[in-house]
Amino acid sequence: MFYKLVFRNSRRERKENGLFFSSLLVAIVAFYIILSLPYQDVMRFLARMESDAVNRLLAMIPAFYGLTLCLMFFLIYYASRFQLERRRHEFGVYLMSGMRRIKLFALLLAEDFQNSVAALLLGLPIAVLLSELISLLTARLVGLGIIGHQSSFSLTAALETAAGFLLIKFAAFLILSGKISRQEIGTLLADQPEGVRPQKPWPVYAVALIGGIGCLAAAYTKAIRGLAWYHIMEMGRTLFLGTAGTFLLFWGLRLPLGLLARRKKSGRHLHVFHFRQLQETVISRSGALALGSLLLLAALCFFGAGVAISRFYGEAEHILDYTFVEEWGERSAEEIRQALQEQGLEEQFSHLFEVKVGYIRTTEDYEHAFEMKPVLEALDELQHSSDTSADSSEDSWRNGSSLQNHLRQYTYPHLIALSGYNELLAAAGLPELMLGEKEAALFQDAEFANEEDVELLNTILKTRPKAQLDGQEITLTGEVQTASIVTDRSITLALALILPDEAFDYYTQENYDIYLNGILAEEAYAHDGLMAAISSLNEKLDAAGLPYESYLQNMGRQLFYMVAASYITIYLAIIFLLIADTMIGVQFLTGQRKTGRRYRTLIWLGADYRMLRQSARKQINWYFGIPTGIAACSSLFGIRALLNGLLSSRVRSNMSEMMWISAAMIVALCMVEYLYLAAVKRISDRYLQGLMEPEREE
Amino acid sequence: MQPILKMESLKKHYGKGKNVTNALNGITFQVMPGEFLGIMGSSGSGKSTLLNCIATVIAPDSGSILMNGRQVQNLKGAALADYRGKEIGYLFQNFELLDNLTGRENILLPLSLHGVSEKESGRRLAQLARYLEVEEVLDKFPTQMSGGQKQRIAAARALILKPHILLMDEPTGALDSKNAKALMEKLSGLNEREASTILMVTHDSNAASYCNRILFIQDGVIFHEIRRDLPDETRQEFYARILEVLAQLGGGSANVL
Ligand SMILES: Nc1ncnc2c1ncn2[C@@H]1O[C@H](COP(=O)(O)OP(=O)(O)O)[C@@H](O)[C@H]1O
Ligand SMILES: [Mg+2]
Repeated sequence: MFYKLVFRNSRRERKENGLFFSSLLVAIVAFYIILSLPYQDVMRFLARMESDAVNRLLAMIPAFYGLTLCLMFFLIYYASRFQLERRRHEFGVYLMSGMRRIKLFALLLAEDFQNSVAALLLGLPIAVLLSELISLLTARLVGLGIIGHQSSFSLTAALETAAGFLLIKFAAFLILSGKISRQEIGTLLADQPEGVRPQKPWPVYAVALIGGIGCLAAAYTKAIRGLAWYHIMEMGRTLFLGTAGTFLLFWGLRLPLGLLARRKKSGRHLHVFHFRQLQETVISRSGALALGSLLLLAALCFFGAGVAISRFYGEAEHILDYTFVEEWGERSAEEIRQALQEQGLEEQFSHLFEVKVGYIRTTEDYEHAFEMKPVLEALDELQHSSDTSADSSEDSWRNGSSLQNHLRQYTYPHLIALSGYNELLAAAGLPELMLGEKEAALFQDAEFANEEDVELLNTILKTRPKAQLDGQEITLTGEVQTASIVTDRSITLALALILPDEAFDYYTQENYDIYLNGILAEEAYAHDGLMAAISSLNEKLDAAGLPYESYLQNMGRQLFYMVAASYITIYLAIIFLLIADTMIGVQFLTGQRKTGRRYRTLIWLGADYRMLRQSARKQINWYFGIPTGIAACSSLFGIRALLNGLLSSRVRSNMSEMMWISAAMIVALCMVEYLYLAAVKRISDRYLQGLMEPEREE
Repeated sequence: MQPILKMESLKKHYGKGKNVTNALNGITFQVMPGEFLGIMGSSGSGKSTLLNCIATVIAPDSGSILMNGRQVQNLKGAALADYRGKEIGYLFQNFELLDNLTGRENILLPLSLHGVSEKESGRRLAQLARYLEVEEVLDKFPTQMSGGQKQRIAAARALILKPHILLMDEPTGALDSKNAKALMEKLSGLNEREASTILMVTHDSNAASYCNRILFIQDGVIFHEIRRDLPDETRQEFYARILEVLAQLGGGSANVL
């Protein structure tokens, strides 16, 4: 008898409440996907190249798994609470008919366990499939055709998933059933509408509402002006203002809803009723709704950031595929060229040229070898004029001063020979740099050159300022040069001077390093793609014992950061989204059940199913719409601020495209919301239909 | 004169097999326009079941209910909703006000359910509120009202659309005697002034003494009927007669009811 009851109840449970059951499935999938991350194709591939970074990431997985467990606990807790709440009456009847509390507890535990096992049986295969799919998809997206697909299935991951899932399910169950079984039978049997809370005079709510909007506005301005990234305190203040603003706003929201309810709008069925319903839930649950809205905001921001990162991270165009450094192999550039020729590898390259880089050897006065006072003075002046101008934001002040400090520091820059640099420019299809005898150009590695600084310097360079190189006057000209002179990291220059070859030879005393750069011929990679081509050439170079640096490392590093960052952010976004939606949906449905009596009264007064359904659906729209709307509004600013902080200035100039991405995010969110709304509406419809049926009178 | 409501051998049972309860066991009676009819019976005698059948909240097993000559059981969809909202008004023992709506909003609820404009009924609302003495609580929420005020608000809601018949299930059941008396006086006044038809189910003899006619039911059948001899018989005399019937019915003790 007992087992029959368990079996029947838990099956009914799964059937009746798809929302609850799917939240269980989501939890399982979330766990498995995070735990199987190390077995994904991309991760396996990257582990070979960027093993340090990958291992550090993989070492974080247990912590991340823990975090996911905590988050999912809330999801399951909320979903189960609704599940138990709606069965209160049934429990009351069990107890009334003489079932002992311990027996009821055992019944619920057995049901819970059976549901969990069913969820695992269905959820694990889904999770494994999804993880395979992600693995294949990411590998395809980043062009890793070469490495060959391996199944990402892992038994340990599956077992750990099951263990974690059962753990949080059991924890949620203990807390909830403890709450239920401590209640009196009478309270279990009775419907309990929310007790009406004491109302404060309306100006209090008006002040809260206005204060909330004010706080949000302040947080928004801080966010878009980039102040939040200026200092950790500033960031804290922005977050605090935003959070407090959201809570205040929701608390004060009862006022406009009350006004909406009072608005005369005859002819519309149940207009007053559903605004009053809405107002009531907003009153009693303003905190939870605000939390839901913040979770949605977090989801949106993570999602936006994740997509933007995967779209823009490391998108820098590159020119060079290989750099051979003579000092590494103790071979001269000439010898390397020869070796390449002997191996028949030379024809793989469309370009093979030398870039010479050296130090100033004509003086040992490192503090004063190079000075550019006119440039620094011009910078000072520009600074002052922009300070007094109307829009002197802290932001530009910060840029200017850091640029000055930065430039003042470099009194002993590297020198680069013009001929090699011009070959690089030619290979990239860029116009040649022309320098007169006593002229020089400034060079900064792209990594150090931020767009505003470069622009600032370029305006100064237009005036052809004078500088002192070992006591001799030279003229700085042209634009700031930023083309990478090696393929990866064999040398990075924060500031260097490009000199005509004769001057270069003089100042370096012909004591310099040669970087032999190669660019793969198009035929070499047209077929398999660049990554595969470089990989296979690397194997040959290794075999020939040639020291080299290839773009593959660079690509790998970028790929890793891109994959890791977007994977984690998008993952978190989805989890936050689901938790927020479940929280909001469950709250609505619980509220609806608690006020079921009212719907019944409406039926007595002649409401038909269509009207009730419409009213409930309208309530659901509003109930989801308010937190989603506020989150969407905040996210426009939040994503912008996040992108400002995360992405390089080069990409930042793409703000309009960024904002398009945010808009797309919001549309995507709305679609998820829509699916969720549809699910909640279906449950609500079914409940109302149940109320409509006669014979169910108690 | 045609009866407003006509019940013919109405039957209704609950449960199956050994647990079957015959709540209504063949009930036949009529309600004439302008009548204030009471139905009395002990707890569990099937009074609420009867009223719920009329209100179409539950369906009878057999028999017929004719409202103004129309079969109530055959109503569907919009016609059914209209019937519930416009042809009958229902007053509950525990008021069933929506506690998140103000008094006024509660009263106007049927209008919004049936798409009646508020302007039309504005006068009716003012009239009813004045007559039922609930003007000062119109903008309060039910939690801020006394039980008597709540029931009078509920009465105004039941009457706002001028139903053909007002059904009441133990309307005084949750009120103290003072408030019960006030309510019954207002309702019987309404019955006299507007000639509204009222069908009340109760086991409160005091409340029943306001009726013109009383049916007594037991075990799902009508076993007695008394009629107030108007205008000669006073309410006190009628009340004494009711107690007499109840005494016979309860085997000598009226207290068991
Ligand atoms: N939904 C129901 N299910 C089963 N039995 C019911 C139900 N409603 C009422 N009954 C039974 O039918 C009989 C009549 O009930 P009811 O009409 O509520 O009586 P009254 O209102 O006169 O107290 C009672 O014996 C009651 O137990
Ligand atoms: Mg009853």
